[in-house]
Amino acid sequence: MTRYIVQRMVGMLVVVLLVLTIAFVIVRLAPGDPAALMLGPEATPAEAAELRERLGLNEPIPIQYLSFVGNALRGDLGTSIFFNQPVTRVLLARAEPTVYLALFSLIIALIIAVPIGIYAAYRRGSWLDQTAISTAMLAASVPSFWTGLMFQRYLATELGWFPAAGYGGPDADFWVRMGHLVLPSIVLGIVNSALILRFTRASMLDVLGEDYVRTARSKGMTEWRVVLRHALKNAAIPIITVIGLTFALLVSGAVVTERVFNIPGMGNLVVSAVLRRDYPVIQGTLIVVATLYVFINLLTDLLYLLVDKRVRY
Amino acid sequence: MSISRTWMTSAAAIAIGLSAYSVPAWADNTLDVAIIGEADTLDPMLSTKDVVSIVTQHFVETLYTFDANWNVAPLLAVDLPEISDDGRTYRIALRQGITFHDGSSMDSADVVASLQRWTEMASRGKAVADRIEAIEAVDANTVEIRMTEPYSPLLSLLAFSNSAAAIYPEEVLGEALSAIVGTGPYKIIEHVPDQYLQLGRFEAYQARDEEPNGPAGGRLQLADEIRFIPVPDPNTRVEGLLSGQYDFADGLPAESYARIAESEAAEPVLLRPFGWPIFAINHKDGLLTDLNVRKALQAALPHDDMMFAAFGDDNFFIVDAPMYPEGWTWRNDAGTELYNQNDQARAAELLDAAGYEGTPLRILTSRQYEFHFKMAEVAKMALEAAGFAVQMDVVDWATLGQRRNDPALWDIYITHSPFLPEPALTSLYSATSRLGWAEPDKEATLAAFTTATDQAEREALFADLQKAVFEDVGFIKIGGFNALQGQRTGMTGVNPSPWPYFWNARPQ
Repeated sequence: MTRYIVQRMVGMLVVVLLVLTIAFVIVRLAPGDPAALMLGPEATPAEAAELRERLGLNEPIPIQYLSFVGNALRGDLGTSIFFNQPVTRVLLARAEPTVYLALFSLIIALIIAVPIGIYAAYRRGSWLDQTAISTAMLAASVPSFWTGLMFQRYLATELGWFPAAGYGGPDADFWVRMGHLVLPSIVLGIVNSALILRFTRASMLDVLGEDYVRTARSKGMTEWRVVLRHALKNAAIPIITVIGLTFALLVSGAVVTERVFNIPGMGNLVVSAVLRRDYPVIQGTLIVVATLYVFINLLTDLLYLLVDKRVRY
Repeated sequence: MSISRTWMTSAAAIAIGLSAYSVPAWADNTLDVAIIGEADTLDPMLSTKDVVSIVTQHFVETLYTFDANWNVAPLLAVDLPEISDDGRTYRIALRQGITFHDGSSMDSADVVASLQRWTEMASRGKAVADRIEAIEAVDANTVEIRMTEPYSPLLSLLAFSNSAAAIYPEEVLGEALSAIVGTGPYKIIEHVPDQYLQLGRFEAYQARDEEPNGPAGGRLQLADEIRFIPVPDPNTRVEGLLSGQYDFADGLPAESYARIAESEAAEPVLLRPFGWPIFAINHKDGLLTDLNVRKALQAALPHDDMMFAAFGDDNFFIVDAPMYPEGWTWRNDAGTELYNQNDQARAAELLDAAGYEGTPLRILTSRQYEFHFKMAEVAKMALEAAGFAVQMDVVDWATLGQRRNDPALWDIYITHSPFLPEPALTSLYSATSRLGWAEPDKEATLAAFTTATDQAEREALFADLQKAVFEDVGFIKIGGFNALQGQRTGMTGVNPSPWPYFWNARPQ
């Protein structure tokens, strides 16, 4: 088992290095000059060239790459061109809203998807089952920005039930900030519930048709125990897989939702960084996201061990 | 934790979060202003972006500023300067008893050092540096600026909040400021990039005695705090304004006008006029170095269609020829018969005369300003009807910013500008801009324009300059457009401006 974990960690390092390299190359290939952008429209080409020199952007690309990788391995992700602060500090500030947003969205998605998915499988063919499937289809097809915009306009602006945007001002405490995350979490929760619902339903359908379920019933177990203790536990692996993937996706930054609701998370940061050509921040964010993604996948795989005793690594 | 406990905790969190939220009220005397993005720097000498001017003008000040009619008015100076008879020496008396946010007093040494830095580091300062012979302190409260020749735009440059000649304490100056400290009515409390810039009233501020007159005159510091909140998505700025979360929102899409007008929480603020979209022409390299091709371009463009496609609503645009709108002293009619010809046949003749062989005309634009892109699309159709081959290079703004610095890559790029109080503040007229328009007669007119000191003379010279813009096709003004901002219903003290200021703002 330890060997398994070590193997996975090594794999993680390889993935991160790959992502790093690809990110570095692609971003540098894109045209656009952070210096010219920062100085504004009245700056002359000479001024932009001077600033580029000062920012070290004229160094040969391989040198820039090697120094970046070298520093990254020591935990130094460089300095943001735009903020003039260490990238790690910028990212740490942005991690909090994104992680909480991902967590809340996942919780809401689970609250919607799991009970309905189980019940839809249990009462297969019923009106609830059919409604659930078509609603899930709708939720998955409608773009998240549209859902976000509609919720923002009607629930926040028109009805005033939630703040329209932001993450709270200087005097906001933790609870006010979490309050700002409620509406975007609902949006993301609904959008992401569809896949989990379908997987839950499909997996439960498989399991509910198994012999041991019939056996459990004939032994006189209550339906409640049959469905939840026997069926669900056995159906869990695909469901956990899709939950893990969903969480990883959410944490990589719900870019559009963060933009619409002006949440200062990693998704919003990476969009702004791309528009500003803030290379260190773009690279840093991609590394963190790739690492998180691989890590969450590892955790998901380890979770199987808890659920299914037959799984061995 | 079992599932039910997690459930309960989350439900509790949501409930508490919701109850803690309420529509922000003026009761706490803070003003929340939604701006279009995070300011690139808090030192206005280092960037010419408008969002930088908007925020920095609250904590740093200049010797002069503009009043409500865009006349230069004194701010840190006592009065307008004493100008010598030959127009070359400006003697400026400084107000006394002015303190900086760090407690130090302002004196001529601070002013001289700040102005020196401005000529070395600020784009607009650098452009004028070689005309300045010396900047000196005469005594503790007087400075003198000596020019190599008369230069009438100098005062406007010293008044402009963009690339501002801001006055800092001598001690904080350097390539980067060691602290952002100014004399302004508000000082920085906290800055969390991409979240907010929190400014608090500077209690030791010395306001001028006069009544507020635009940005000039008294600055009343009515709000305890002003918070600038970067909100990059324009729609989110609208929603935040309408839901009461923001007291003011800049840069709103024209389509949201009706919704804001109907709302009880907010009212629209129409900047009429705001500015002008521009086709900037490459005089250094390429097709448009030939006057006949430029004239063909000018003849072919359908300004009415372009403006309509870009703005869609009569409330928001005007097809108007002179460089300045109605009511501005610089407005005149010279050369305007060449505007909006919309004559593709004539353009085709001019192209023939130029011996045009089908080289693509490259238009560099971006969808980041959707109205630029729409104008380009309409222009393309008309230009093709006139016989041009047109190549549209549509890129993001960062790429455009880089490409327009290389004259080998474009023939036209699209931009826009607010109407600026002093024509010489618009770099387009100058041969040193990236357009490189260096026609000799125009250069002579421009030189005379910037050295003349009599206003009537300057207005006549400007008419000649405008004529050159049309006859030599220096660049093309497409029309005039209005901009939309929004404020909390009943708020007073905020004047419509491309660089809105909030020291006199008071919601109802």
